[in-house]
Amino acid sequence: MRTQSSRRRFATCLIGAIGAVALLAARPVSAHHGWGGYLDAEFEITGTVESSVSLAGPHASMTIRAADGHVWNVVLAPPPRSQQAGLKDGMIPVGAKVTAHGHRHRDNDRFEIKTERLTWGDKVFNVYPDRT
Amino acid sequence: MRELAEWMQTSALGHFMRESGAWTYAVVNLFHILGVASLFGSVLVLDLRLMGVGRRIPLAALADATVPVATAGFTVAAITGVGLLATKATEYVGNPFLVIKFPAIALGLINVLALRLSPAWQARRQRELSRRELRQLSLIGGLSLACWLTAFTAGRMIAYW
Repeated sequence: MRTQSSRRRFATCLIGAIGAVALLAARPVSAHHGWGGYLDAEFEITGTVESSVSLAGPHASMTIRAADGHVWNVVLAPPPRSQQAGLKDGMIPVGAKVTAHGHRHRDNDRFEIKTERLTWGDKVFNVYPDRT
Repeated sequence: MRELAEWMQTSALGHFMRESGAWTYAVVNLFHILGVASLFGSVLVLDLRLMGVGRRIPLAALADATVPVATAGFTVAAITGVGLLATKATEYVGNPFLVIKFPAIALGLINVLALRLSPAWQARRQRELSRRELRQLSLIGGLSLACWLTAFTAGRMIAYW
């Protein structure tokens, strides 16, 4: 029957399209979600604040300039969780010295750390307390 | 691309998304997902029917039930989606999944137009459709499903790039 064969044709097209997308998606990708895009080894970086804490989604973040001269993207937890850890929008002044402890991005050209713990003077912000 | 992203990010919407509380992004994201779920759920049912699944259900009746839900879902998803993007628009420049997602949405919408203009769709309340017309609807339904599946898959993958 014609409708039967055309139905089968659509099914084939459909599976092809889904397969193509899935293949592309299966490439090793980095992510702001999850830890898969970051190295397993613990990592720590110290620097001076370039842009202060932002509690914007999907993840709170700040940038720091490290001794290596690079500006690092310090990715924190999702906003509510970062807030729970004691962080507020703009709370650490530009120029202040902070240390981020967590995991470095797998891509060596990306100066990005996914932070578990942020230290500013005697203040410690455990944004992922169950991980450290 | 970069200019557009910078403009979005510095817009009033971008500021609102970033500066109006820790839960803003999460709530807007929730409505985005509700919109997408409503759109995809209704589109899936209608497209399968167009492709010939569940012929016992009259097309006109099914369309009356699904099309308004799909339209509302799309509208909610589109509005909230702009907000999510504007939050940190520049971070998404160069994300390949965006380059897949938006053309897929555009094709999906063109396909909606093709469906609405087709004689078969317009005659769905009046008469029995011919085999040829049924085949046309089946093709449009298949294309629709391919477009929206691609758009949703790419959309979900944006966060994992």
